[in-house]
Amino acid sequence: MSTGQAIFRDVPDPPAPKRPSLGSRLVKSRTDYLYVAPAILVMLVVIAYPIYYTIELSFFNTPASLALSEKQFNGLDNYVTILTSSIFWKVTWQTIIWTVVSTLFAFLLGLGAALALHREFAGRALLRGLLLIPWVVSAVAASYVWKWLYHSDFGAIGALMVQLGVTDQPINFLDNTTTSLYSLIVVNVWKEFSFAMIMLMAGLQTVPDTLLRAAQVDGASPWQRFWHVTWPHLSSVSTVTVLLLVVQNFNSFIIPFIMTGGGPVGSTQIWITHIYELAFLRQRWGVGAAYAVLLFIIMMTLGYFYVRALTRGDDQRAGA
Amino acid sequence: MAQVVLKDVVKNYGPVYAVNRVSLTVEDGEFVALVGPSGCGKTTTLNLVAGLISMSGGAVTIGDRDVTNLDPKDRDIAMVFQNYALYPQKSVYKNLAFPLQMRKLPKEEIDKKVRDAAKTLDITHLLERKPRELSGGQQQRVALGRALVREPRVFLMDEPLSNLDAKLRVQMRSEIKRFHQDLGATIIYVTHDQLEAVTMSDKMAVMNGGFLQQYDSPANVFANPINMFVASFVGSPAMSLVPLTAVSKGTQVVLTSPEGWEMPLSDANGRKALSATSNKVVLGGRHSTIKVHKVQVPGAVPGKVYTVEPTGDVTFAQVFVSGATVNVSVPPGFALRPDEPVFLEFDQDRMHLFDGETEMALRL
Amino acid sequence: MSSITEYRSGGMGWRWAGRIFLVFLLGFTIMPMAWMLITSLKTGFAAMQYPPQWWPTEPTLDNYWRLLDPSGSVGQDFLRYFWNSMWVSVVTTVLAVAVAVPAAYAFSRFRFPGRTFLFFAVLLRNMFPAVVFLVPLFILMRVLGLVNTHGSLILTYLTFGLPLAIWLLKGFYDNIPIQLEQAARIDGATRFQAFFLIVMPLSTPGIIATSIYSFIGAWNEYIYAYTFLTRHDQMTLPVGIQRFFSENATDWPGLMAATFLMSIPVVVLFLVLQRYFVRALTEGAVKH
Ligand SMILES: Nc1ncnc2c1ncn2[C@@H]1O[C@H](COP(=O)(O)OP(=O)(O)O)[C@@H](O)[C@H]1O
Ligand SMILES: [Mg+2]
Repeated sequence: MSTGQAIFRDVPDPPAPKRPSLGSRLVKSRTDYLYVAPAILVMLVVIAYPIYYTIELSFFNTPASLALSEKQFNGLDNYVTILTSSIFWKVTWQTIIWTVVSTLFAFLLGLGAALALHREFAGRALLRGLLLIPWVVSAVAASYVWKWLYHSDFGAIGALMVQLGVTDQPINFLDNTTTSLYSLIVVNVWKEFSFAMIMLMAGLQTVPDTLLRAAQVDGASPWQRFWHVTWPHLSSVSTVTVLLLVVQNFNSFIIPFIMTGGGPVGSTQIWITHIYELAFLRQRWGVGAAYAVLLFIIMMTLGYFYVRALTRGDDQRAGA
Repeated sequence: MAQVVLKDVVKNYGPVYAVNRVSLTVEDGEFVALVGPSGCGKTTTLNLVAGLISMSGGAVTIGDRDVTNLDPKDRDIAMVFQNYALYPQKSVYKNLAFPLQMRKLPKEEIDKKVRDAAKTLDITHLLERKPRELSGGQQQRVALGRALVREPRVFLMDEPLSNLDAKLRVQMRSEIKRFHQDLGATIIYVTHDQLEAVTMSDKMAVMNGGFLQQYDSPANVFANPINMFVASFVGSPAMSLVPLTAVSKGTQVVLTSPEGWEMPLSDANGRKALSATSNKVVLGGRHSTIKVHKVQVPGAVPGKVYTVEPTGDVTFAQVFVSGATVNVSVPPGFALRPDEPVFLEFDQDRMHLFDGETEMALRL
Repeated sequence: MSSITEYRSGGMGWRWAGRIFLVFLLGFTIMPMAWMLITSLKTGFAAMQYPPQWWPTEPTLDNYWRLLDPSGSVGQDFLRYFWNSMWVSVVTTVLAVAVAVPAAYAFSRFRFPGRTFLFFAVLLRNMFPAVVFLVPLFILMRVLGLVNTHGSLILTYLTFGLPLAIWLLKGFYDNIPIQLEQAARIDGATRFQAFFLIVMPLSTPGIIATSIYSFIGAWNEYIYAYTFLTRHDQMTLPVGIQRFFSENATDWPGLMAATFLMSIPVVVLFLVLQRYFVRALTEGAVKH
């Protein structure tokens, strides 16, 4: 039927008001900036400057004293050094194992816990709280506790395994190149699985009950219900969670640094601990900085996806 | 109280024109309803008057002051929101006191005004409660109270009743009307419910697609809708519209249907039909102006009953006429059956004719 | 069995699988904490036994008394670290909230040129590892004369607390109806008053959550504290404990007691305010 708009069909829209110039828009929203200025200022000082500095440093050979007046430009030498060193590939491979395996298990444990907790029962909040404790305690404390648990002579885990008849002798978890990395991964998963858990618990709350009921009425099995109803609703939270876990794992430092210091024979060296060692223990500032720049590039790539996942739908909200 | 004038007001979001060159004058003490379907730009218009969003073009004056570039707080207005927007952390008392505190009134005066307003709205016993402890109707009263403690120059209301249940809505409708009469307040009242607009307002401004379509008293809008949109939007049941073709037959003009029947028009109506841009003419009639016959009478057009809805006092029916649906009403004793053939006689003096191309009402 | 929740949890079999899984997970979670507590109740001699005493034959609180005794040298150090950590964490938290609140509000409500870019920049700060910033920040702190002061830590923690704080709070502001502010502005408030008098009190849960977050982050931070502070009367707990351990390499019960004490503030804070914390974290992450 009639639309009414049609009667004004011949009346052109008023000329679009000129898009105000950037200058006038800046002036118009000048008070808006007051709100963000303190945050931006702090971040500028403590972020922009270091980034600039790191990039600069990566093209120089700098004396151990960090006396910048004596630094020498050496082009891409630092990068070449990194990419051609055999340890680079070893460390990279270990970083990948560390990141992928930690993320995978943290996510799966978190998902399992979220699903199991997604139901009202007495003590649910308490249980959730207890499961979250590893995530709030300091990584330093966690590292020492686990180091003690893994202790080669008096460690509880080794002794327990002997008592249960799994092994004859206590395993030397941390001083053994075949077990060291995975032993640390266990600690890392322990520390961060509950982060995935709460993210996914929140995600589960967005799954409409009516859909699940409808699926049940339609005769879907629990597995089918999970796969066809629940999981699609979790996909965006899952993306954010996995990205955050990957970033966090790629950047881990404390657990390997305190528990093994990257050893034995470099078997638990990952990028960050390696950078730290290069810069602070061997004073090879330039190479360390070049590593850091490579890391930036990787992080920015991940960051792109992270920001996209986070800000999805953000601009639909009003505010004129 | 004061007059409000909108002049060529425009608000666009990029290419979307939420409000498109709207001009209207609300006289001092007038109750104006801004009415139209959802998304037509009512809220945006009201927010522009309030100063809550910036204008893309045009000007607004309140009283003799150009307020186009003034902050909301300097416009001396009050507003009632659809979701009430009561401050959840404040008690009812503090909600009512807030506008007065912002204007730095002395404590005793604030107390007196708050209690007076509470008494007027019969919410004195609720003063210490928090908004979430109130029913929808009570929240509505508090929202109203917060608007009227301050005696502003203009009241703006954005669908204030649409979250209430039907019974409460009718009751609040008359209270707001009463309140308008008692205070002589200037009120701009947004609603998507044409019945609310018709029953409450002195004048109604019908909007669609960002444009102001018609601005007149409800009686005039009802009697002389300016175009097909207004015709079909105002009135319940809606005015029925039947697209036909106008043909001159000697001295007489008739409307013909594709099925071949003809309906002769009176002289005046004939001249109107001929003034259309083409021979396409749309016939409009409200149910109260259409007589239903079971046998052919001169001038009546054939149709077939589709549904019958007895309501007690009167029975409404929908009748198919040349592919269009026509709403009619008959006395309760008048038996109609679905699929029964009937003949409809349109009152020549009260029928409406629209230009089939421009959709505008044809007038002499 | 309640049929109302049945569609959620699957059948009985799945439900039992879920329970067993939770029990296993709880064991995995709790075991290290329990062992930390048990070890801290042992004497040095009792801890160094194979097989271990699963429960101390002669439980003792000596390790705690030693750490908390202000007259002993260990106690003096520990209490100083504890105080330093508390001071740094509280100041960081107060500043982070003060800076994040207006920024988050602006990102939620205003559309100013550069908003998207700045917001991305803020979010991306989350992506950078601390180690990358160590050298430049160390130099920066030297320039600012902040090396070996708590100011260097507070400034640093502020920057990596801010992005998350802003993100969390923005989630809260996004959920506060804009009509409340509009009402306030019509009632005579300026934009800032509308924010300060109406919106800010409503975001209290968000502010609490952000504060816990920021506090825990600062309390647990290790790398910068390790690099920026060399004077041991300035050290915070994580670094101080490490120092303690490197000097007493075999005093495992003492170390466990220290880590236990270090964990108490954050765990208690967290358990008490858990609901705010969880809500805030998910407010931003989950879009409907
Ligand atoms: N902030 C905004 N950004 C983009 N479009 C908007 C915004 N606010 C309103 N609009 C658009 O303007 C039109 C009119 O909206 P509104 O005034 O809220 O309608 P009404 O109140 O009549 O239902 C709608 O099409 C709406 O989508
Ligand atoms: Mg509206």
